[in-house]
Amino acid sequence: MTPKTLTLQDLLRTDFAPGGGTQEYFVNMGPQHPATHGVLRLLLKLDGETLRQVIPVLGYIHRGIEKICEHQTYRQIVHLSDRLDYLSALANNWCVTRVVERAAGIETNERIETIRTLMAELERLQSHTLWWGVFGMDLGAFTPFLHGFRDREELTQIFEDTIGARLTMNYIQPGGLLHDLHKDFAPRVRAWLKDFGTKVDEYDRMLSGNLIAQKRLVDIGALSGDEALGLGATGPVLRASGVPWDLRRVRPYGVYDQLDFVVPVGEKGDCWDRYWVRIEEMRQSLALCETLIENIPEGKTMLVKPAAKIRLPEGTFYEELETPRGIFGVHLHSRGKDMPWRFHFRSPNLHNLWCITKIAPGARVADIVAMLAGLDLIVPDMDR
Amino acid sequence: MSWIRLQPQKPGPRRIGGIELQTVSAPRPDSDSLWKVALGGLKGMLGGMKLTLGYVTHPSKVVTQQYPENRETLKLPERARGRLYFVKEENGFHRCTACRICERACPNESIIIHAHKGEVTKKPEIDHYVWRLDTCTFCYACVQTCPFDAIRFDGRFESAVYDRRLLVYNLNDYAGPHDTLARKIEDEEQRASCRTPVRPYEGPVPASGEKLHGIEPLGPPRGEDE
Ligand code: SF4
Ligand code: SF4
Repeated sequence: MTPKTLTLQDLLRTDFAPGGGTQEYFVNMGPQHPATHGVLRLLLKLDGETLRQVIPVLGYIHRGIEKICEHQTYRQIVHLSDRLDYLSALANNWCVTRVVERAAGIETNERIETIRTLMAELERLQSHTLWWGVFGMDLGAFTPFLHGFRDREELTQIFEDTIGARLTMNYIQPGGLLHDLHKDFAPRVRAWLKDFGTKVDEYDRMLSGNLIAQKRLVDIGALSGDEALGLGATGPVLRASGVPWDLRRVRPYGVYDQLDFVVPVGEKGDCWDRYWVRIEEMRQSLALCETLIENIPEGKTMLVKPAAKIRLPEGTFYEELETPRGIFGVHLHSRGKDMPWRFHFRSPNLHNLWCITKIAPGARVADIVAMLAGLDLIVPDMDR
Repeated sequence: MSWIRLQPQKPGPRRIGGIELQTVSAPRPDSDSLWKVALGGLKGMLGGMKLTLGYVTHPSKVVTQQYPENRETLKLPERARGRLYFVKEENGFHRCTACRICERACPNESIIIHAHKGEVTKKPEIDHYVWRLDTCTFCYACVQTCPFDAIRFDGRFESAVYDRRLLVYNLNDYAGPHDTLARKIEDEEQRASCRTPVRPYEGPVPASGEKLHGIEPLGPPRGEDE
């Protein structure tokens, strides 16, 4: 059976409440709505205040990155992956790097892998602090926004010291790392981690423990584990639905196999679970970073010459890893040149976005903002 | 529903895909009496307010940067990718050999090298080293691959202009041989004359903050002091 594909026109024409009393109408949310965090357009079908249907419309920030990748050498592609999910730039870099390294047979050393893991975990913290701040703001609490950004800024400056960039880092590259760690890196990270331990408790006191915030989250937008799996949701969204699928645990990469941490999961998959899972993930990442920063082995940080051409053998390669938002995969098809023949990103946000079509119907308009914030969407990652 | 106590629940192993991993579960609301809910809610609210007031009474914990007032003291890290520049030796000669490695490494063709064969040195010499900031994505590939450490990034970051043509830079300030090549020229006079001055904006694309045909110099903003 071929699945029936609906065009936008079809969806608009569909009568979802046949014989229903009140008149339904459409409202555009976005593409310039602050709660969509970018140029995401949601077409809301409303019955009074109640959502009947949500139709995401994409394409407002399509840049054709996958096509551009076909005309870039493997080293150049890395910097384009920054531009997908910019809050997990390092994880994206790492994924591209991993697929290239595996295909080209480049071996790395323990130091490189440890630093990569540490950077990825720090970035998870950086991403989640930003998410927390913006989450608060979306719910109508402005102070968390400032606090989230304050804690993120420190970490951004630490990255800036070592990497030289604040957002689009391009740091993890095939064969190693762009720079060695800055001499201030370890002490600054230690100080930040120590400080941040108290900050997570502050987050709890400020937002998680607030009855109003809890009321706005609990039982809103429940998504069962089966539904989440069916929609291809990954990351905290999937784990909040009770499926403990964390690639760092189930298919360890980097040095995760030597690390010990627990996977926070939710029970009902509502906004509260998604919120709590991320908060707990911060605590887990914090502990991971504290272990990693003390255990960075010595060694070289770049094992191939930067200007050397990387040619991959013919074939199809796939690698995936866990970014702060879910599973990011890179699928590349090589025909033996120094550029890929076809390049595809499996981005977590595109799949997580589609959860909104499942969880929104029946909810109120104000809740869709909480749901979007709970899904933690990054639009350039969906649209590429 | 009631106020949720923020304690991880049900720590223990779970199986997925034949793998056992340790998990903790999210706390859920339990059914409390109205009193307990009200008390919990009040506690949560007061906790948040206490935190905010704590920052009000401890202004030293506030971290706002006073930009642009702190321009003089604001220093970006040495690895910051702000603007590209040519590294100069003490004698004023640059190091670029016009080998075009950076040009090939650039993913956006933001580097365009115009070179000629030197009359005296018989080696490639830079005429214009054009760097297009407008298409540059600050990937660092050029600096990373340059075998002679001829270009670097510095921390100048206030590059915003009103016309994108002003974002095309000419990095070299003279057309001529690089340092090592110039040292080989024995004749002092010849060495001095092998350099032709080049102005910052003289790329193939008309781009100038100064005097270039068709582009007005950017003076002080008009309409403010009048
Ligand atoms: S800047 Fe460096 S890589 Fe580029 S042409 Fe000059 S010497 Fe070669
Ligand atoms: S930083 Fe990257 S994009 Fe910019 S000029 Fe250098 S190589 Fe090109």
